Amino acid sequence: MYRLWGYVRHYWPRYAFGGLCLVVTASLAMAVPYLLKRAIDAIEAGMPFRQVAIFAFSIAGIAVVQAVVRTFSRALIFNVGRDVECDLRNELFAHLETLPVSYYQNQQTGDLMSRLINDVTAIRMLLGIGFLNLLNTPIYYAYGLTIMLALNVPLTFAALAPFPILLFVVKRVSRRMMEQTLRVQEELSNISSLVQENVAGIHVVRAYQAEQVAVDRFARRNQILTDETLELARVRGQLGPIMRTASGLGVLVVLSLGGSQVIRGAMSIGDLVAFIGYLNLLAWPTMAMGWMLSIVQRGRAAMLRLEQIFAVVPEIRDEEGVRPAPALRGGIEYRNVSFSYPDATAPVLDGISFRIEAGQKLAIVGRTGAGKSTLVNLLPRAFDVTGGEILVDGRDIRTLPLHQLRSAIGFVPQDPFLFSTRVDDNIAFALDGNGNSAGRDAAVRRAAIAAGVDEDVSGFRNGYETVIGERGVTLSGGQKQRLTLARALAATPQILVLDDALSSVDTRTERAILSHLSESLEGRSSIFIAHRLSTVMDADLILVLEDGRIVERGDHAALVESGGFYAQLFREQQLEEEIETA
Amino acid sequence: MSDRPRKTAGAADDPYREADLGRAYDGRLMRRLWGYIRPFRSTFIASLLCLPVTAGLSLLQPYLLKVAIDEYVSVADTRGLLVIAVLYAISMIGEFTFLYLQYYLTMSVAQRSLAALRVDLVSHLQKLPARFFDRNPVGRLVTRLTTDVDVINEMFAAGGLTMLMDAVTLIGIITILLVIDWRLALVTLTVTPVLAIAVNFFRIHARNNYRRIRDRLARLNAYLQEAIAGVSVIQLFAREEQSFARFRELNDHHRAAHHSANIYEAALFSVVEAISSISLALILWYGGGQIIAGTLAFGTLVAFIEYSQRFFIPVRDFSSKYAVMQSAMSAAERVFELLDRSVDIESPPAGKVVDGRGSVEFDGVWFAYNRDQPVLRDVSFKVEPGEKVALVGHTGSGKTTVIKLLNRSYDVDRGRVLVDGVDVRDWDLAALRRRIGVVLQDVFLFSGTILDNLTLGRDDVGRDAAIAAAEAVHADVFVKRLPGGYDELVRERGNNLSVGQRQLLSFARALAYDPRILVLDEATSSVDMESELLIQDAVERLMAERTALVVAHRLSTIERADRILVMHGGEIRESGPHAELLAKEGLYYRLYRLQFAGTQGARETTAAGAE
Repeated sequence: MYRLWGYVRHYWPRYAFGGLCLVVTASLAMAVPYLLKRAIDAIEAGMPFRQVAIFAFSIAGIAVVQAVVRTFSRALIFNVGRDVECDLRNELFAHLETLPVSYYQNQQTGDLMSRLINDVTAIRMLLGIGFLNLLNTPIYYAYGLTIMLALNVPLTFAALAPFPILLFVVKRVSRRMMEQTLRVQEELSNISSLVQENVAGIHVVRAYQAEQVAVDRFARRNQILTDETLELARVRGQLGPIMRTASGLGVLVVLSLGGSQVIRGAMSIGDLVAFIGYLNLLAWPTMAMGWMLSIVQRGRAAMLRLEQIFAVVPEIRDEEGVRPAPALRGGIEYRNVSFSYPDATAPVLDGISFRIEAGQKLAIVGRTGAGKSTLVNLLPRAFDVTGGEILVDGRDIRTLPLHQLRSAIGFVPQDPFLFSTRVDDNIAFALDGNGNSAGRDAAVRRAAIAAGVDEDVSGFRNGYETVIGERGVTLSGGQKQRLTLARALAATPQILVLDDALSSVDTRTERAILSHLSESLEGRSSIFIAHRLSTVMDADLILVLEDGRIVERGDHAALVESGGFYAQLFREQQLEEEIETA
Repeated sequence: MSDRPRKTAGAADDPYREADLGRAYDGRLMRRLWGYIRPFRSTFIASLLCLPVTAGLSLLQPYLLKVAIDEYVSVADTRGLLVIAVLYAISMIGEFTFLYLQYYLTMSVAQRSLAALRVDLVSHLQKLPARFFDRNPVGRLVTRLTTDVDVINEMFAAGGLTMLMDAVTLIGIITILLVIDWRLALVTLTVTPVLAIAVNFFRIHARNNYRRIRDRLARLNAYLQEAIAGVSVIQLFAREEQSFARFRELNDHHRAAHHSANIYEAALFSVVEAISSISLALILWYGGGQIIAGTLAFGTLVAFIEYSQRFFIPVRDFSSKYAVMQSAMSAAERVFELLDRSVDIESPPAGKVVDGRGSVEFDGVWFAYNRDQPVLRDVSFKVEPGEKVALVGHTGSGKTTVIKLLNRSYDVDRGRVLVDGVDVRDWDLAALRRRIGVVLQDVFLFSGTILDNLTLGRDDVGRDAAIAAAEAVHADVFVKRLPGGYDELVRERGNNLSVGQRQLLSFARALAYDPRILVLDEATSSVDMESELLIQDAVERLMAERTALVVAHRLSTIERADRILVMHGGEIRESGPHAELLAKEGLYYRLYRLQFAGTQGARETTAAGAE
C-alpha cells in the first residue's frame, strides 16, 4: 500500500484540493436540514414571513455554491484516480517489456491482461470513490451527530441503533458481490474461449457432423454462466433494499418516538423534520462505508497482485559495467556454450564452440529437437547461456548494452508473429520512425523486394497500407514468413538470423529470395537454419547438430568428403536428381 | 433486417469504433427480444406487476408522514401515531420485498432468455456457410455472443425496466402532489423545465463520452494484448521504447476521455442535487407563507419535502440509464443481424441417402470465391469406388477448392458434383458428410482430452474404436507415452504436441469416423524424419479400401496414387499414373521437379539417412 502513495504523490495538490472541496460540500450539505429546522421552527412560532423567506433563500444560495464546489470535489478526486490508473498501467507495461521470454512461458496472456485491467481498476476505485467516501463518512457523521445530539440525545441513539448492523451487512453483501462478479467474469471468459474454439474449428466440427455435440457442450457451459449470473443478481438485488432499510428504519423510529415527544411537547416539529433530514443524509455514507470496506479490501489484494509482477527482476538486462562497442561488425564466436532449462535434467546445448568472421555465412542442419533454435536464440540473449560464453566482435555479449546487441541482429523467428498494424508499419518495425518518410518508404520497399513479398503486397487492395490480421487481410503462412524476413532486412542489420524461416515458402520462391539475399548480405554475417540443402550449400561454415552437440562441421565440400550424416544427405539428394533426369 | 441500410457498414474498417448509437427504444428489436422472453412470460408479468406495487408502497410513506403530523401529532393522539408507525413499517417491508422480488424475477427472465439467445446464436453459427467465416473474423463473432449479449442483459439489470419504474414513480409523485395541494405542487414543479434542460444537456455529452471511452478502451486493450503476445519480437528488435511510447499514447487518450466524462458526471450530479435543494427552498418559501396564512397544514409541507426529494433520484440516474438503453439497442441490432444471416447451404427438404460404394464425379464445375475470378473452370473428372486419386498443382491452382466443393463447404457456381451418382445438392447433407472424411492441412485440436479429439464427443464412436484407430495410424505410440495417455488434456490448440503428432491424431480422427470417401489435404510443413515415416505409413492405411482424393505434397503419396490429376489455373491439364505422366515430360514433370524433388526429395533422403 505504501507503494500506492508514490503514485498519488504526483497529484497531491489536486487530490488535496478535491478533498478540501469535499469537506466544504459536506458542510454545506449538513447546513440544509439545520436551516430547514430553523425555518419550520420560525413558521411554528408564527414569526414574520420575511424570516422564513430568508431561510428559504439561504437554502437556495447554498445549493448554488454547493453545486460548484461539489463538481470540483468529485471531478478532481475521480480524475486523480484515473491519473494513477494510467500511471500504474504505464509502469506495468514498461516493466513487462523488460521481462525475458522465460517469464512469459509460464504466464498466460489472459491472466496478465486481467491484472492490467481488473486489478488496476480495483485500485482506481480505491483512490476515487473509495477515498471520497472515506473522507465523506466521518465528515457527515461529525456534523450529523453533533447537531442531532444537540437536538435530542435519546432520539439520536434510538435512530442510529440499526446503523452498525447495517454497516456489517452491507460490507458482507458487497464483498460477496465482488467475489461473485469475479466468478461471472471468469465464466464469461470461459464461454468466449469455447466459442472462439468452435468458430476456429468449424470446418472440423462440420466435416465430422459434430455440430450438435458442439452446441450441447456450449449449452452446458452457458447454463453455468446463467447460474452464476443469477447468483450475482441474487446478491446484487439485496443491496438496494438494505440501503433503503437504513433510512427507513431511522424514519420509523423518529416518527414513533419523536412523534410522541412532539405530542408531549418535548420536541418541536421543526426538530422532527430536521431529524428525518439528517437521518436521510447519514444513510448513504453509512451504506457507502460498508461498500467501501470491501473496496479497500479488494484494492489491497489487487495491489498485492500487481506488486508480484513488479517484484519479478528481469533476468536478462544490462549489468553494471556494460559499455557500448564502437560499432559491431558481426564476428560471432561461441565458446564451449551450454544451455539447459531451469528444471530440466538434460542440457539442450552442450559444449558448442565455433567461430565465424564478420561477413561470413553459417548454416545449421539437424533434426527437429536437436537444439538449433535454442542455439540461435542465445545470440540476441532471448535466453542467457548457462555455461561458456558468446562473443560478438570479441566481446562477451553480456558486456554489450542489450539495445546495441539486439539492434545489430535481424532475427527471423520460426513462428512468424506480425502485429495487426499496416504492412509497411510491420516491415519498418525496427526502423527509427523519425527519419524522413520517403526514406522509410524506400527502405520498406527494398526490404519487401529482397524478401520476395513485394508482389504479394502490391496485390493487396491498399498495398503497403493494408492492415494485417482480423481487421484487414489474412495472410498465408508463406506470406507471413516473407514479411518477417522483410522486417528483419529493413533495418540492414550486421547479423541476419533465419530460424527455419522459409519452411512455408515454396521452393521456387525460396530460390529467388536466396539469390536476392546473397546480394544484400554482402559484408554482413548470417546464420541459416534450414531443412533444404540448397539453402545451406554455399555457407562458409556448416554445423550438423544432434542432441545439443555439434557432430559435424566444415564447409560443404569438406563435409561431403568426410562421409558423415551430411554427406549421406547430399548423396541421397544427388541420387534423386539423377533418377529424375534419367 | 436486410431491407434496411446498415448503419454500421463502415465499422468493418475499424472494429474498435463504436457503432453510432441510435434510438434508446426500437419496437422491432423489442418484439424480437420478446420472442425470447415469451417462454418465461408468467415470471415476466409477475415482475412487471411488482413495479406499481413497489412504487405505490414507496409513495405511501411520505403520505403516512403527513397524516401522522396533521391528524395525530397535532391533536396529540399517541395511539393513532403508533398505528401510523406500524403502517409505515409494513409499507417499508413490503416495498423492499417487492423491490427485491422484482429485480430477481426480472434477472431470472433476462438470464434464461439470453441463455436461449446465446444457444441460438451458437447453433446458427454451426450452419453458416464457409463463405461467412471467410469474411468474419473469429473475434467479432465471439463479441456478438459475449459482450453484445451482456450489454442487452444490462438493459434488464440497470436500464429499461427500472426506467419504466422511474416513470411510474415520477408520474405518481406529480399526481399526489397535485392532489394534496395543486398550488404548492405547481410552485414545486417550476424547477422541472430547468431540470429537463440540464439533464438533456448532460445526456448528449454522456452519450458522446460513453462512445469515446468504449472506443479508446478497446484500442488500449487490443494493443496491450498484442504487445504481450508479441513481446519476444519487441525485445528481439529492441523496440521496447517505441512500443511503450505507443502504449502511453493510447493510455493517455483513454484517460482523457474519462477525465472529461468525470467532469460531466460530477456536474450532472451536482446540478441535480442543487435543483433538488432549490425546490426545497421553494416549498419552504411558498408553503411557509401558506402555513402562516393558515391555509396549509404542517404535515403537508413535510410530505411535499419528502416527495420532492424522491423525485430527483430517478432524474439523476436518467442519463446513465438512457445510455444503457441505447447501447442495448445497438447490441441487439448486431446480434439479430447475425441470427438473420442466411444459411445458404442447407439440406434439401427430402434429401437423398444413397448407399453406394463411394464414387465421386465432377461434371463441368465452375467456381469462384469472388465473382469474376473463377478458381475452377470447367473441371470434370471421375473417381471410381476404391480408387486413389492425387491432386497436384501449383499454389492457387484450385486443388483445395475441389475438396471444399465435395462436402458442400461451398456450392458450385455451374456444373455438378456427384457422389455415388447423386448431385451433392440433392443429398441429405448429414448423410453426405457422414460418407466423407476430411483431413485438412492445419490440424485443429479442441481443448479437452486426446480421446475427445478423436471422437469429437460423438457417441457413435466408442473409446475402443477410437483407440483402435489411433493404433492403426501409429498415434498410440506417443499417446501412451503421455502422462495421462488418452485422457491427457490437449493444451491451447495442441501446443504440447508436435506437428507430426497432431497430424497423426487427425488421421486417427478420420479413421475412427470410418468414411467411405477420404479427402486429405496433406500438410506442407516439414516434420522430423521419424514422424515422416510414420505419417507415410499412416496415410497408406487411411486410404486402404476407401475412395481417396488427396491434395498431395508427399512423394510417397503420389507414387502410390492410382491416378494423378494435374491442375493449373483452375483447370485439369494432365491426368494419369505417376510414371506415365513423368514420361510425358509435360507440366507434371516440371511440377514434380519443383515441388517434390526439391523439398520432398531432401526430406525423404534425410529420412532414409536416419535409418
